[in-house]
Amino acid sequence: MSAAAVFGDDTPVLSFDRVSMSYETSGSGSREALREVSMSVRQGGKIAVVGRSGSGKSTMLHLAAGIDVPTAGRVAIDGRDLRLMGERERTLLRRDRVGLIFQFFHLLPHLSLRENVIVPALIAGDRAGQAEARAVELLEQVDLADRMRDPVQNLSGGEMQRVAICRALLRRPRLLLADEPTGNLDDANGRRVMDLLFDLVAAEATTLLFVTHSREFATLADEVWELHSGQLAT
Amino acid sequence: MLRYLLSSAASHFRAGRSLFLLTVLGVALGVASVLSIQIINRNAVAAFEGSMQAVSGDADLTVLGRNPTLPESIYPRLLAHEGVAAAWPLYRVTVAVAGYEQLFLDVIGLDFFAPVQVPFQGGDADLEGALGEPGWAAFTPVLAKQMGWSVGDSVRVFSGSDAVWLRVGALVDFQQISPVASPKMVVMDIAQAQHLLGRRGQVQQFDVVVRDDWPVERVRDELEWQLGAGVQVVTPEQRRRQTEGLLAAFRLNLTALSLISLFVGLFLVYSSTQASLVRRRSEFGLLRSLGATRGQVFGLIAIEVAILGSLGVMLGVPLGYWGAETNIAVVSTALTNLYLLDEISALELPASLFGLAALIGVGGALAGAAIPALDMSRRDPRSLLAAFTLHERISSLANRLALGGAALLAATGAWYFTTGHTWQHAGFVLGFSLLVTLPLLTPVVVRTATGWVRVRSFGPGFGLRNLGARLQITAFAVAALGVAVSMLVGITMLVGSFRDTLEVWIANTVQADIYVSPASWRGRGDEAFLDVELVAALARHPGVRALDRLRGFVGHTQGDDRITLAGIDMGLPGGETRFELLQGDVSAAYEAVHRGGGVLVGETLARKQNLWTGDQVVVYTAAGPTSFPIAGVYYDYNAQGGAVFMDLSTMDRHWGPSDINSVAVYLEPGIDADGVIDQLRAELPLAALEMRSNRRLRQEAMEIFDQTFAITRLLQLIGLLIAVCGITLMLLVLGREQLPELALYRSIGATRRQIFGLFVGKGLGMGLMGLTMGAVGGTALAMVLIFVINRAYFGWTIQVHWPWVALAEQGLTILAATVIASLYPAAKASRTAAAELRREDV
Repeated sequence: MSAAAVFGDDTPVLSFDRVSMSYETSGSGSREALREVSMSVRQGGKIAVVGRSGSGKSTMLHLAAGIDVPTAGRVAIDGRDLRLMGERERTLLRRDRVGLIFQFFHLLPHLSLRENVIVPALIAGDRAGQAEARAVELLEQVDLADRMRDPVQNLSGGEMQRVAICRALLRRPRLLLADEPTGNLDDANGRRVMDLLFDLVAAEATTLLFVTHSREFATLADEVWELHSGQLAT
Repeated sequence: MLRYLLSSAASHFRAGRSLFLLTVLGVALGVASVLSIQIINRNAVAAFEGSMQAVSGDADLTVLGRNPTLPESIYPRLLAHEGVAAAWPLYRVTVAVAGYEQLFLDVIGLDFFAPVQVPFQGGDADLEGALGEPGWAAFTPVLAKQMGWSVGDSVRVFSGSDAVWLRVGALVDFQQISPVASPKMVVMDIAQAQHLLGRRGQVQQFDVVVRDDWPVERVRDELEWQLGAGVQVVTPEQRRRQTEGLLAAFRLNLTALSLISLFVGLFLVYSSTQASLVRRRSEFGLLRSLGATRGQVFGLIAIEVAILGSLGVMLGVPLGYWGAETNIAVVSTALTNLYLLDEISALELPASLFGLAALIGVGGALAGAAIPALDMSRRDPRSLLAAFTLHERISSLANRLALGGAALLAATGAWYFTTGHTWQHAGFVLGFSLLVTLPLLTPVVVRTATGWVRVRSFGPGFGLRNLGARLQITAFAVAALGVAVSMLVGITMLVGSFRDTLEVWIANTVQADIYVSPASWRGRGDEAFLDVELVAALARHPGVRALDRLRGFVGHTQGDDRITLAGIDMGLPGGETRFELLQGDVSAAYEAVHRGGGVLVGETLARKQNLWTGDQVVVYTAAGPTSFPIAGVYYDYNAQGGAVFMDLSTMDRHWGPSDINSVAVYLEPGIDADGVIDQLRAELPLAALEMRSNRRLRQEAMEIFDQTFAITRLLQLIGLLIAVCGITLMLLVLGREQLPELALYRSIGATRRQIFGLFVGKGLGMGLMGLTMGAVGGTALAMVLIFVINRAYFGWTIQVHWPWVALAEQGLTILAATVIASLYPAAKASRTAAAELRREDV
């Protein structure tokens, strides 16, 4: 079992206990993406996950977000076992406690910056006024407040990712999961996005688990985990 | 390539079963719509032709009067022509079967010694009985079986107000000659028919066989010249064309309506092809990079679409036949009521209609797919393999499309108001340009409307906003619905306005308390007269203040327009209310008609022949073409080409004295009409009279009206069904195309229920936009139908009334239908898992 850093209170924000995940393949067999992974992340921790393509990094994030359920083992967010929850409960848990950042930003082209940021609040049924104020606050922090009414198509890649970070942080999630947040950006923009991400995470006291191919960005984390053929090695 | 095509098509169909089925259904409904109307149209003429062929057989010419009957005295003159090999007279009269509300028989008096092939069942009939036994008549086996009559039975019928017994002497199977001949034809000896049912010495037509060595046209021209102006000599082809001409407006209007459904169906094909091609762009890119030519890619797409169209045809043909069969009764009744034609008793589906179905189904599908297919085949492999979206294209084209639509409408409008209005079919050009403009405006309308929406929740507003981002899909769904709703609203407004106009007109002009006519007057009833004694008895009845007598028959104007000629008591005190004049002073007009030999002309005829007050209308009388001064033009809703009213004395003077066909009874104030009808029925038990109170007559008129437009409901329904299929189809396409987006919502916390609601909201949004566009387009279409097409074809003045209740009901039904149409795609979309979000999506 790999070690995990302990921060703050005793209940981990995220924990994996002997988690395995297999996918059915188009033939008759199955492919094991994760094998008996155990770990836990405490409040405020910043963890980088590295590994080659196909090592199971994205699978780990999907399981951490409750998007998938493991074929074996236990995944818990704030001590709540996701395996015991129905699909709807997992969705609501994700909505309230998890923020997601994607490599390809996944912004909605027909919405403005501000509207893109408040989508999670709209989905959650939060008060529009409060959500908008929070969106403005976040956009100010990423230097995009003056363009918040613009359509997102006009943004550069780095700007798009900054908007996506604001969206992920809008509802003050306990856990922020980022899948290759700089994977689609050049070095300069990647650096800027990571700096902003770390600043915001620190300011919000959010726990961050991010997948990256960049050793440089990985060193920014409190701890680096390496996945190799579905297994975790410190 | 063929092997590739088959496997590619099969896997494509498997992958999008719902899309594929909905597209096939769209094509099938379009085909069914056009086909059912074409079947009805062809059979309306075929019914007439079938009966004509059964009666007149191989006759080369038919001699008809321009007045109801012909004198038998012209018979020897016919036979005297050297080119005539044989000729025989026919006496035709409609009789009503006693004890049955609406059973009319077409009795044909024949000379059994004439060279006519009468298909008696079981060989030749007993001619001795046919000539000697009073009331001997041959009935069709179909009718005999239906009514339970056998040879030897007696059947009581009414000819005018006279009751007559006919005896089933033999069975005659006209269906052997023509399967669509009316089973209600009855054959009897001509002398018996004249004696029992009508007038001696008068016939309706002569059939003529021309000698082989004489040209038919020459004999026709010479006979017409020899027999004088009151006689028409026509070939069977001319008679068929006359019937077609009579029905032309009716048929053309139905055809145009059915084509709208096809037009809506094409949107479905266009959109589904577009969606499918966008999804498969990388497949085509790969094919192109592997060496497939543009033509091969286009051919591949075209063959797939043709397969889809063929499947639509295979489904559409039985659907269309079923639609025709289901509606044939109401159309037949409408044709009988409006045009006094033979009812349609059997349906034929000629091979040419299969060809038509294949042409419109496969051709329509190919036409619908042509633009996206060409677009896809023209692209180079690099752009096909690159991630791109066509949605942006239509968005950037939206303004140009809208400008094009506006320009088209403006150009058509300018053309109509300058020169086009003189052309009879101009209304269809206007209507068509309206229906084309609507889809062209849709992208801008959808983009603008959805752009106004402020997103305040993850609900309908969010869904609506989202629609604007997928213009390529939503604009087509909204356009298809908009066109279908336009048709629905346009026809509803036309029918509603017409109905209200007619109700007001009837209320103003139908003033008598009771209307009395022979039962057989409803059919081909020129020869249905009221007995003089009977009329006198009616006049003597206690409580009767006055009688308004009417004599009416089908006549001809110069130029051979078939019109209704009617003679009434113009001097009836207070009778001015019977007409609402469009032109002319009421008192002066009445005086001119009552004492001056003038006539009142119906608006239909006035518009058709451009005849107005002060002009002369030329009508064929017993003496030939005769001019009558027009004293006034009245509002008229006659479908048979128009009507001319004159004083009874004028009619008697020009056509000879005759009995009358019906009377309108005015009662003393305070007398109950229904009570008087009951008393009359008790006093005249043997008289075959239809007696209707004022209320009943108005009710019946409106029932006939509703029946006439019943077929339009089928077309409206089909159009709407296609459009609703379009909503389902487009939402399914949206669900597919938005899969990553939906997965994103799911990954950031949207529940399945929320996605379901979002999609239903989208469906509702498309429904609302389609409804709004349809309401605007439909109102414009209604104006074209009322003021242009109706005027050009029927010449009626219809006041615009807004049938609010019907429109509101339809609006709610459409919205409910769009919500229902959204349920399946919404359920499917709601099953999207967050894990569907792939890295490069959205």
